[in-house]
Amino acid sequence: MTTYFLLGIVTVAALFYIFNVPLGVAAGPEKTRLNYLQERKEVIYENMRDLNFEYRAGKLSDEDYNSLKASMEEEAAAVLAEAARLQGASTPSISETKGVRA
Amino acid sequence: MAQYGGLGLFLILVQSAPSFSDTWALFFATHAATLGSWFLLLALALSVYCFAAGWLGLLGRDAASERIGETARRAGIAVFYIVLLAGITLVAAAFQDNFSLTYILHHSNRELPIAYKFAVLWSGQEGSLLFWALLLSAYGFVLRLRHKTDPRLFAHASVIIAAVQVFFLLLVNFAAHPFGITQGALPADGNGLNPLLQYPEMVIHPPMLYLGYVGFTVPFAFGLGALIMRYPGEKWIHITRRWTMVTWAFLTIGIFLGSHWAYNVLGWGGYWSWDPVENASFMPWLTGNAFLHSVMMQEKRGMLKVWNIWLVFSTFLLSILGTFLTRSGIVSSVHAFAQSSIGTWFLAFIVLTLAVCVFAFVKNRDHLKTEHRLESLVSRESSFLFNNLLLLVACFVVLWGTFFPVLSEWIQGNKVTVGGPFFNKVNIPIALLLLLLTAVGPLLSWRKTSTDSIRRNFQWPAIGALVVAILLLIFGVRPWVDSSYFYSLMTISLSALVLFTIASEFIRGGRVISKHTGQNLLVSITQLGRRNTRRYGGYIVHIGVVIVFVGIAGSAFNVDKEMEMSYGDKMQIGSYELICRSYTQEDKPNYGSEWAIMDVFKGGKQIDTLYPERRFYKASQQTATMVANHSTLKEDLYVVYEGLNQDTGRPILKVHVNPLVNWIWIGVIIMILGTIMAMLPNTMPAPARVFARVPAPVTGD
Repeated sequence: MTTYFLLGIVTVAALFYIFNVPLGVAAGPEKTRLNYLQERKEVIYENMRDLNFEYRAGKLSDEDYNSLKASMEEEAAAVLAEAARLQGASTPSISETKGVRA
Repeated sequence: MAQYGGLGLFLILVQSAPSFSDTWALFFATHAATLGSWFLLLALALSVYCFAAGWLGLLGRDAASERIGETARRAGIAVFYIVLLAGITLVAAAFQDNFSLTYILHHSNRELPIAYKFAVLWSGQEGSLLFWALLLSAYGFVLRLRHKTDPRLFAHASVIIAAVQVFFLLLVNFAAHPFGITQGALPADGNGLNPLLQYPEMVIHPPMLYLGYVGFTVPFAFGLGALIMRYPGEKWIHITRRWTMVTWAFLTIGIFLGSHWAYNVLGWGGYWSWDPVENASFMPWLTGNAFLHSVMMQEKRGMLKVWNIWLVFSTFLLSILGTFLTRSGIVSSVHAFAQSSIGTWFLAFIVLTLAVCVFAFVKNRDHLKTEHRLESLVSRESSFLFNNLLLLVACFVVLWGTFFPVLSEWIQGNKVTVGGPFFNKVNIPIALLLLLLTAVGPLLSWRKTSTDSIRRNFQWPAIGALVVAILLLIFGVRPWVDSSYFYSLMTISLSALVLFTIASEFIRGGRVISKHTGQNLLVSITQLGRRNTRRYGGYIVHIGVVIVFVGIAGSAFNVDKEMEMSYGDKMQIGSYELICRSYTQEDKPNYGSEWAIMDVFKGGKQIDTLYPERRFYKASQQTATMVANHSTLKEDLYVVYEGLNQDTGRPILKVHVNPLVNWIWIGVIIMILGTIMAMLPNTMPAPARVFARVPAPVTGD
């Protein structure tokens, strides 16, 4: 009898915990294209920081550095432009893109 | 009681505690089967609810759906507690010598030391499946607690984990029940734990290995979930990276603890024998390793999306395949459990999982379009790609060799076993190429690398490696004498190349920090690691890998000798002289043993006394070897007591001198430390500034 009483308590406690959900539980907002672009921007900036660091460490020739930097800047610009378009802004602020520090 | 106050209450409780605990002990001993069975059934019901309600919650976007989803999440959390109770019930039964449970009768005995009573949980088929379910519920528990990181992605992952959980709980409820009751009269004692498992590492080796196997369910759940929900971007990879690294680290520890155990217990002088069950753990390790490298391409450049998703799927499926291999009895191994029908369950689960993966992939493959193409063969991307290809080729070779006996039996009717020479012949060249890539990869830049950059990065490391190769030749390594010497020379030279390239990375990076902050180079190198834990932690892992390779390369110079020895007999091996001082027998409650006392001399001076032993475990009626090892950084003097010669009554001893073995274990510790470092968040900002030109926004289509 004690066994069934104990098992009953465990079962009821588990069910109480599961179904006693407080009101106002929200799963959070859906991820948007804008969120994605923001993440992409962070990744490209990190790539650019890595590139600068490797250049300063002497691992890259000037030719490699300039070519890679140019292509990353183009990539960043495209992402920022699309983000700005989605946000409805006319032109992204230059301060948003310059001198980013981690 | 009031007159005694709080102290009185405390004293009464302390006095009544023994009788209270005795009552509960008696209660658990009497009702363990009922309690355990109910916990498992309840856990199964809650897992089914977690899966079904979780799925239902994901279909809608309204408040009701979100509440249903929340109940599913809570059910998943509750499953952990319930399965934990089932696990505690089984371990408690082992401690109570409750032989009314068949599982305890078969895997424990009264004289079993306390630490091994815990090991009873994973020493048999039923208990280890319960342990699988427990670990999976623990991973799910942590995942569900962290759901706020990305609620919808985590909800998808939670549903997938619940589905896997349902499978394992079905197994322990209906196919391999750990709480089965012993029929007939109860024997006075149990059959005991397998003697091979009565070794300190065996208390932690299986849990580590299982944490690795089970843990790959988490990246799998995130990967499949992200694919099903068409998750925008690569953030899911970022979220799962740490999970994958933790899992990979556990599997690494598990594999090497297993090797260490095999080296010290099986007594054949080696640490890896390409046993099917060893291979089963090695395959997901290889694909998991490939995934950890290739995700960087997806994170940084949006490339290899299809490749990565299939690597995640394959790693999980290989983990399940490994469990299937151990349990189905289709292959013979020292590790395998007895042959059982459980293999059919696993086979069905593998087929079903594969079908779900293929369906999800076909339905959503347009979501996995690559964002960039490979621009040059001389780039970081291509080095990762080659690394992945080599790891997968190695995995395929291991898979082929492991299943060849089964395939040959199906096709020809007779079992043809593939041995160590096959695996070594194919995998050693692959491993050497991987070492080369480990050296080359970090020095290449993303997208493309010019010859000028290659020259400036490789010049000094390559010269250093060449000097090491020449030194090896001078010191007597003759690659033309034997292929194993050639491989050793190549391994050590390439390892030197890797170490020099990593050193150059640290020094170059340190110089940048030093220039920026004015600190000395050593402090700057320390800061470097804190600024980019992932990259420099990865380099530490590579240093560990290289040290492991150097340790393995030492096996080319192994020597061994076998001899029957009497009192005062001498054996000369390598630079050691061994003298048999005595040999004797002993009887202990759990086992009886025979052992020899060997004095070890080097250069005429005694350096150690070794006690090689052979045990006979009474409960299980099985023998086990206890190797005596004089271990140094240079080499191991490894002595095995092989048994008594029945005619002469004298012991037969086999002695091995195995160079550099300790470096393998040291390398693994470094690998784990590097992995821990790579998992830590960056604590200091990177010094470089970023500038981006921004064009006018694009308008229209």
